[in-house]
Amino acid sequence: MSFTVPPVDTADHAAPGQPAAPRRGLVMRLGLDRFSGIYVWALFVLIYALWIPRTFLTITTVQSVAGEQAITGIVALGLIFALAAGAFDLSFATLLTMASVLSGSMMVDWHLPSGLAILLTLAAGLAVGVVNGLLVTKVGISSIVATLGMSSLIQAVIDRVTNGGQFITGFPSSFTDLASPKPLGIPILAIYLLALALIAWYLLEHAPFGRRLQATGAGPEAARLAGINTDRMVFSGLVASSLAATIGGILITSQIGSVSPTIGSGYLLPVFAAVFLGTTQIKVGRFNVWGTIVAIYLLATGVKGLQLGGGEGWITDAFNGAALLLAVSLAVLGQRRQGGSRILRGGLTRRRANRPATEQEQS
Amino acid sequence: MTATEPAGDAGLVIRGLSKTFPGQVALAGVGLELRPGQIQALLGQNGSGKSTLIKILAGVHTPDPGGQAWMHGAPLTLGSAAAAHHAGLRFIHQDLGLVPTLDVVDNLALGQRYQARWWLSARTEAAAARALLAELDPHIDVTAPVSQLSAAERTIVAVARALRGGVAASGVLVLDEPTAALPAAETGRLFRLVRAVAARGTAVLYVTHRISEVFELADQVSVLRDGRRVLTCPLAEVTPASLVEHIVGRPLEEFYPEAPPPGRDVALMVQGLRTARLRDLHFALHRGEILGIAGITGSGREEVAPALAGAIAWSGGRLTIGGRVVHRMDPAAAIGQGIAYLPHDRKRESAIPGFTVRENLTLPQLRTTHGWLSLRRERAEADGWLDRLAVRPQDAAERVFATLSGGNQQKVVLARWMRCGARVLALDEPTQGVDVAAKTMIYQALTAAARQGTSVIVASSDSEELARLCDRVIVLRDGQVTAELHGGGLTAEAITQQAMAAAVAS
Repeated sequence: MSFTVPPVDTADHAAPGQPAAPRRGLVMRLGLDRFSGIYVWALFVLIYALWIPRTFLTITTVQSVAGEQAITGIVALGLIFALAAGAFDLSFATLLTMASVLSGSMMVDWHLPSGLAILLTLAAGLAVGVVNGLLVTKVGISSIVATLGMSSLIQAVIDRVTNGGQFITGFPSSFTDLASPKPLGIPILAIYLLALALIAWYLLEHAPFGRRLQATGAGPEAARLAGINTDRMVFSGLVASSLAATIGGILITSQIGSVSPTIGSGYLLPVFAAVFLGTTQIKVGRFNVWGTIVAIYLLATGVKGLQLGGGEGWITDAFNGAALLLAVSLAVLGQRRQGGSRILRGGLTRRRANRPATEQEQS
Repeated sequence: MTATEPAGDAGLVIRGLSKTFPGQVALAGVGLELRPGQIQALLGQNGSGKSTLIKILAGVHTPDPGGQAWMHGAPLTLGSAAAAHHAGLRFIHQDLGLVPTLDVVDNLALGQRYQARWWLSARTEAAAARALLAELDPHIDVTAPVSQLSAAERTIVAVARALRGGVAASGVLVLDEPTAALPAAETGRLFRLVRAVAARGTAVLYVTHRISEVFELADQVSVLRDGRRVLTCPLAEVTPASLVEHIVGRPLEEFYPEAPPPGRDVALMVQGLRTARLRDLHFALHRGEILGIAGITGSGREEVAPALAGAIAWSGGRLTIGGRVVHRMDPAAAIGQGIAYLPHDRKRESAIPGFTVRENLTLPQLRTTHGWLSLRRERAEADGWLDRLAVRPQDAAERVFATLSGGNQQKVVLARWMRCGARVLALDEPTQGVDVAAKTMIYQALTAAARQGTSVIVASSDSEELARLCDRVIVLRDGQVTAELHGGGLTAEAITQQAMAAAVAS
């Protein structure tokens, strides 16, 4: 070694807004930063257990939280891929409805066997993802605009198929059995979620594909110059998001046993909230699978307790929205210097530009 | 504090300034005196405390208690942006803070305000902007979007904006590496501006990594090292060599390592290459050779490295490498052929700033065991490479890339491509914005790579660098090679002369 350059720069950037050294040590050791969600979750459980023990501390509550949130989780897993590649997908919520409507309509109106209906629905969902992907990568439309337009087209299909919003019911039991079993008392949807989460985790964090996908989202030009086919990454992310939403739509139809033409809209915010909140957990600053799962169950537990405690319908939206804004604000304030995800920090870069720039700050 | 208060015409005086970050003393009792009308150069390696000092002046950081400052004899509160601004301190950071899509008029107005309040007349605003720029550089088109200005003109606009309002005639202008992103040919224009500002009575603190600029511009020089001021003296009392010695803390005999004799075999042959700026470019690169690309901005110099790496599209021509003829190129194909590209824009193009060093290092070639990306294996491999290139800090592998100093970032990118077994390294401005010590380390890494048979192409606006680092230099003009220099004829003067002659002729 020829020269020792003291690590002033690091200290320099860490300084504003960072806790002082001894406190930081404690925070690190307890994992209060990366695992804060788990601590908050435990706090929720404790509070509700003391407040409403009769209704909250029951097997039914555990089962319903686990089962109800599985769909949110599955759809969120797909959205992680799109966002990690730097693309927004606003079409997944209506696509979820479309998958629900299509699969239901194929079985009830067209009398197709459930297996075929599922396959055709998956194909339709795949097609939506492919079109989204082509619009963004080949035509070059911003992903927000492309998927917003797509979402309106999908809504048109839904209206057409349901004749302007009629419910569809009366599915064969071979279809409703997809979502109803509870082996060992565990809702099977939660098991599906776990299985898909394992696959997503492998793809995103232990396969070259995932590294390339994240590189594309975090620095598209640098990723391209490192030999990554960034268009393919964005395309894959949007397709993954569409497929997950389609699976979610099929499963929810099976779970409820009827199709509502507005079912998907309720998923838009919770899914985004979960994925963004997930970036503050486990792998801080990155869209990641386990962080998202933690976020989902954290939000679900919070909401469930409030509902059981007598809260009204609006409490769910209020809670989800507030939790999302609070958590992401804290995350952005905490890791400005890390340059984490560009999507989270929208608009921040310009403002920073007028502040005294540091040599190593990200662009 | 026994120090007496400075006189009313003393300009900016700082005494006993310290700053401690958790686990790190960034500044230890630093003093600084800036007289009105003086151009003082401030030098130091990355991490010497330069940026901390400037940030305290700008009010970003609060100094440790005990430091004092005066402006024209009146006490100045350090660590307050408002107080600094009120006292007439103005800052030009490397990121100029201009909006590229807006024109000069709007950019000037953004800093302060428009002339009119209720009804904006384009003509009035343009006249005001022209009046503002007249003193500094009357040749700038105020209606042009900032993105269409040259780098020097952008800096001039930023200076004009900072000095707007008239306070600064008796104030201080701090320029933080204003030439870092400037082609050598444009620095002269900026220097004229700096001299004009100083001539009005403004004190200028000029932060730079380039020794030559100090001798061209400054009348006084200060050097920081390890958070202390190790030198302040009039320019006449130092030489370039003694300055470098003060900056790094020891003499530097091996500033430019001896280049190895190049091999005879041709590693890469370019024939008739065309891009937006390159028109019919021909050259051959030998095994183990370090080839320099010179030329003024717009000569095509800046497109050679990206074109070889497929980062920009070709409109014609071919390239022969390893016995294969290639007619078009994209980044993945270039990597496959063993051509690695190191862009000058490290933050945006070289690497993913938010990724860890390890992730950046392995990105082009991700190795799995049974389909599994093992983080532990990656870590071990990264540690090996970082060790080989002496990347600091030693545990850099899991650090966020953006937190490394410029020189160390460049070494990480170099390690990345050496790991991929690159046979040709194509670098664009490899030492832009890095300090003297890091430059030497980069030069050493490049010559070491050449010694092992790797061919290196260095496109640079720094003639001195090309003359001393390269075996051979080709000079471009209008996208074609107009001169080739090697052996005894390869001097910085000859390069500059050829490049400038080319500019005059065209």
